[in-house]
Amino acid sequence: MKPIPSFDLHRPETLEEALELLSELEGSRPIAGGTDLLMSLREGDCKAKHLVDLGLVKELRCIREDKGTISIGSTTTVAQVVESRLINAKAPVLSEASSSLGSVQIRNLATMGGNLCNASPGADTATPLLVLGAGIEVASRKGSKSMPLSELFTGPNRTSLAPGELLTEIRFPIPPTGSGASFQKLGRRKSCTLSLINAAAYLEMNGKTCREARVAFGACAPTPMRALEVEGLLRGLKLDIKAVEEVSSACYGLVQPSTRAHARASEEYRREMSCVLMRRALTEAWERARRNTR
Amino acid sequence: MKTSFTLNGKKTEVETSTNQTLLDLLREDLDVKSVKKGCEAGECGACTVLLDEKPVTSCFVLAPQVENRSVTTVEGLVEDELMVALRDAFMKDGAIQCGFCTPGLLLSVYALLRENPRPTESEIKKGIEGNICRCTGYVKIVEAIIDAAEKIASD
Repeated sequence: MKPIPSFDLHRPETLEEALELLSELEGSRPIAGGTDLLMSLREGDCKAKHLVDLGLVKELRCIREDKGTISIGSTTTVAQVVESRLINAKAPVLSEASSSLGSVQIRNLATMGGNLCNASPGADTATPLLVLGAGIEVASRKGSKSMPLSELFTGPNRTSLAPGELLTEIRFPIPPTGSGASFQKLGRRKSCTLSLINAAAYLEMNGKTCREARVAFGACAPTPMRALEVEGLLRGLKLDIKAVEEVSSACYGLVQPSTRAHARASEEYRREMSCVLMRRALTEAWERARRNTR
Repeated sequence: MKTSFTLNGKKTEVETSTNQTLLDLLREDLDVKSVKKGCEAGECGACTVLLDEKPVTSCFVLAPQVENRSVTTVEGLVEDELMVALRDAFMKDGAIQCGFCTPGLLLSVYALLRENPRPTESEIKKGIEGNICRCTGYVKIVEAIIDAAEKIASD
């Protein structure tokens, strides 16, 4: 394996200090868990003269509930999300997706912000967060701004963050009574595997009628994507097995999987499987919504 | 740069470079050879160490990042009761063949049993998903873990 090229390492202890370093040092990159970045540095896919390590910035590592919203600091590890009782109780779809990411060892290092900012088209935490309606907070030395998570992704391993900007927080509203969500992942094996394709669905039901729907796919387009047309078909629809089947079949023509020859699965396979995974996700989300009557 | 951390319970101060991994620091500078260099891509788990008691792949940790933290390898658990039970069960049940994956596996299982002393078979499989063994096919490894957990519970 190639050695990691040399760089200067900076270890700030506050967010303010980290933002200062990121804006002042030319060719700097933040490093959080390092599980993607160290590989990219080794492979030469990414170059950095300075790495700003966020590991000591305590304020970025937290999970909070406030006024019906759950906030997750960007350097919270994936393992902390898996272990969080709050997230397990209020948004189990995120716990389930997070626990399918990498292995125990990787989840203990990898961070939520890192999984999103690496912007893999198949990032396992992106799809559930998209259907939870997540927003993100982006900070720079000049200040802080909020945006929908969907606006972070601009292409494979590319984000809309400008140099000097840092993802600091991910937040989403706590799903209401009558809602249910599901995450479905297809890999080459069960353990420690990347998504060939993944899908998530979120449904709010009013009796048998779907009041609100959000669905998303991973590894089916250059970025994790909300499937807005599918959501349009679901809103106001009276759900039964046949309706779920019909909506899921529509995914075939709506996803845009990579056509690259060296992609992990062929375009046709991903189109076919998008229908299968959406049917599974909708079926489970619907079942969970029916049981969520408190 | 100087980095000080606790290695297997002992305060250690060592010269590190920024692009050095914890894996290389342990093997090359500190002669901790139980930590194996496998894939260097976070996939095989042979380089697993406990960082503040949690298993991580040491190929993904930069040496200076362990400043003020605690690193544990099997060398630091030679007389630990749980590790002794695990080691004995691995040997008795034939859960070791070439041995390359064994130190990493033992650390993952040690961390699992510390948090969950009586794991189900599927919890065991989840706990060792990050450790690849190319010899045994995992059946004997899972049996050894179940036996060690039973032994610890009955003692």
